[in-house]
Amino acid sequence: MKISNISRKILYLMIENGLRPSEFIRVYNKNNGDVYKTLQYFLKYKNLKLKFGTNKSDNIFDSLKYDSYEKVINFIFKNKIGLLEISSDSYPAFLKQIHLPPPLLFFKGKKIINGGFMIAIVGSRRCTRYGSEVAEYISKSLSRIGITIVSGMATGIDSHAHKAALEGEGGSVGVLGCGIDIIYPPENELLFKEILKNGSIITEFIPGTPPLKSNFPVRNRIISGLSGGVVVIEAGEKSGAMITCETALSQNREVMAVPGNIFNQTSKGCHKLIKEGAKLVDSIDDIMEEFSQYKEKALALEKETVKINNEASECKVNLTGDERRIYEFIGYKSKSVEEIVGYSGLEVRDVLKIIASLEIRKLIREDSFNKYIRLF
Amino acid sequence: MLFRLDSFALVGITAVKVSVEVHISRGLPEFVIVGLPGKAVNESRQRVRSAVINSGFDFPVKKIIVNLSPADIKKDGSFYDLPIALSILSASGQVSCNFSEESCFVGELSLDGSINPVSGLVSMAERAKNNKKKFFFVPYQIARQVSFISDLKIVACSNLSEAVEALSDRGKVDSFIYRGKNSPINRNTYDFDFKDVKGQLRAKRAMEIAVAGRHNIMLIGPPGSGKTMLARRAVTIMPDLNMQECIDVTRIYSLYKKDVNELIQERPFRNPHHTISRIGLIGGGINPGPGEISLAHRGILFLDEFSQFPRTFIEDLRQPLENKEIIITRNRFSYKFPCNFMLIVATNPCYCGYFGSNSKKCVCSLREVKKFWKKMSGPIMDRIDMRVTIDRLPESSFINGSDGECSDRIKKRIIDCTEIQKRRFKDRKLSYNSEIGINIINGWLKNDENIKSLIYSVSKKFSLTARATVSILKVSRTIADLEASDSINENHIMEALNYRVNFSNGLGDYISGL
Repeated sequence: MKISNISRKILYLMIENGLRPSEFIRVYNKNNGDVYKTLQYFLKYKNLKLKFGTNKSDNIFDSLKYDSYEKVINFIFKNKIGLLEISSDSYPAFLKQIHLPPPLLFFKGKKIINGGFMIAIVGSRRCTRYGSEVAEYISKSLSRIGITIVSGMATGIDSHAHKAALEGEGGSVGVLGCGIDIIYPPENELLFKEILKNGSIITEFIPGTPPLKSNFPVRNRIISGLSGGVVVIEAGEKSGAMITCETALSQNREVMAVPGNIFNQTSKGCHKLIKEGAKLVDSIDDIMEEFSQYKEKALALEKETVKINNEASECKVNLTGDERRIYEFIGYKSKSVEEIVGYSGLEVRDVLKIIASLEIRKLIREDSFNKYIRLF
Repeated sequence: MLFRLDSFALVGITAVKVSVEVHISRGLPEFVIVGLPGKAVNESRQRVRSAVINSGFDFPVKKIIVNLSPADIKKDGSFYDLPIALSILSASGQVSCNFSEESCFVGELSLDGSINPVSGLVSMAERAKNNKKKFFFVPYQIARQVSFISDLKIVACSNLSEAVEALSDRGKVDSFIYRGKNSPINRNTYDFDFKDVKGQLRAKRAMEIAVAGRHNIMLIGPPGSGKTMLARRAVTIMPDLNMQECIDVTRIYSLYKKDVNELIQERPFRNPHHTISRIGLIGGGINPGPGEISLAHRGILFLDEFSQFPRTFIEDLRQPLENKEIIITRNRFSYKFPCNFMLIVATNPCYCGYFGSNSKKCVCSLREVKKFWKKMSGPIMDRIDMRVTIDRLPESSFINGSDGECSDRIKKRIIDCTEIQKRRFKDRKLSYNSEIGINIINGWLKNDENIKSLIYSVSKKFSLTARATVSILKVSRTIADLEASDSINENHIMEALNYRVNFSNGLGDYISGL
């Protein structure tokens, strides 16, 4: 991959002189977005490391494995990592607008430079089944109409959103809180490979930067910055997702939240957002209303959804008497096998048979051990 | 003076004949045992001397050589005391012995001359019978253990003097022959019953199927959900042991402990703790003895907290599960122990124990759950056909809940089902549905396009592995047998699907080999 001179210089300044991104952006803005002037300003002080007051500890790029420019650039060439500097045409337009955009982005996968419209889906790392289903549903639907899903590559909601988004044409962009050479969390290794087929992985951190706690709030501003809106699913009251919402609001992005079970602590953050005025999302339409340019495509999608629902109701039509009775009894509050047997008066083996056949037709699912709940 | 009596040595589960030869000669007083004696056999010298003297006989002050022949088999155990003592008494002319050729002897002597129980009596009695012996001298306390053996007269002596008296005259021996018979096989001796288990209908049905087809089964559930309770009750629905099976079981137990005083008629239920050693589980040791898997022969091996067992031990179970016997090879000898057991394992669904449960919230991360299941995955899970999830019952239901079906009724169905299987497999070396291979299953499916397409679509829908599909078919066959149905139909397969963990409860993602 070709790397522009400007990118190289910024990278050099950051590694060798400890230039902080915020410092760069301040000067960059002062020069009205003239990147050459900015670089000249800094390169004058090339040999004066102290000029930038880089006490290593307050540098977000400390503890580097690749501690010299040479090593980093070699690594970048070897692993075909792309660099995007702030003045480049391919630099995401949305991200350019925010306060303190990253001067330099490391990326893998071409999605990020194609400049599609993006929506962020963020949420708890410890999600429930409900959360994961919602994430997959929203992510898949948006991706199918060409919207790219941005998220943080974490476990839980993030992973589900990424995975589902890869099925549509929109694809997915993962924003890391560490160097691009580090797979964190490690169990997402497969997702890293998958995502490159129909998406990108980006980060502002220099290769070798470990996933420090302090990196994640910083990267959250990129997640919201890249996207036109943020959909929050199952966020706790104090969570990374809530930080993303704050940055989204300060960047003037739409914040939308999916409500959850009120008895469950997992969606407290979402409910708080809704109370404060975030848009409540209970269907894809709620999201689409905000982004009119995708309305037509959304309508087409809706037809498809209707089709899926029809299929489900067709399944329902084919139910036999006992199946229907049990299916209707199960309802939306989960019922245990014992309750179903008691209600139906059938033999255990017949009930089990019916449960399996309903489950195969995806009309019900096992909610917790031995308890079933209706899906449609 | 030379004298010879017959006794036995134990080689694994079988006994071999050993001649106890005594030669008393002039020379410096000495008492030596040769012929690869173990520690216990060597110490026998002290016991024999005291027992002989305390029984009112003279211990010859001469050179005494005892040879245990064949001299190249290692001998261990305390049961040579009686034959050595009797040989010495005969060799020194204190006892006349007319029918020693037709007899064989085992027994451990106490210093006062009384005869204590020994282990391995059943194996020895069978060997005695095969060698056409007429009399078998055994300790009185455990004589009932071998009283079932026909064509062999069990001479039960409680001390050395009695043994001498019995041996001295053919006419006298009759009064020592053991006549107590085993009590007729008494049924329903368990003090627990399947009806004690409230609710858990699916798990109970699964246990019935598992026992009927001898499918190994895994019970998954949070603490206090009744996994152990269900497993313990599995023996109550197993068909009663027949005579040969009783003997098989008793033979193993008589090797394991000395106080077995009758034919064992209950199915064994072994429940080893997870801190067990490898040898304790599989069998072995310096003098190889049966492990828990052999003690569970014809019964149930229940591994509670399966996840806590060291992984290597779990892997060790693979071969015994397949072959129904374990061969332990130690330098020159192979020792074979039978271990035809049904495996029931119980485990929590994750570290905290509440994954997928309704009763409490699981606090494990998905990563921890994955790690938890990783340990159990792999080849051993192939051999477990059924996995059933159990959740805690709501408090109200185990106080008010009505009784379930009682064990006897379930047992009746299982006996019928076992008969059907026996008939089906009479030309093969199988006895249960769990043992069948893919070729037999394919034979059944050959003519049934409906079922074939159903299996195909089901396994595709849930991306089942080949072995999962085979397991489902095996279990379906058992379900069909329980209904006395000739062929597997759609209903049977649908029910069998319930006993694989499960498509939609989330656990399926973590158990490999689903």
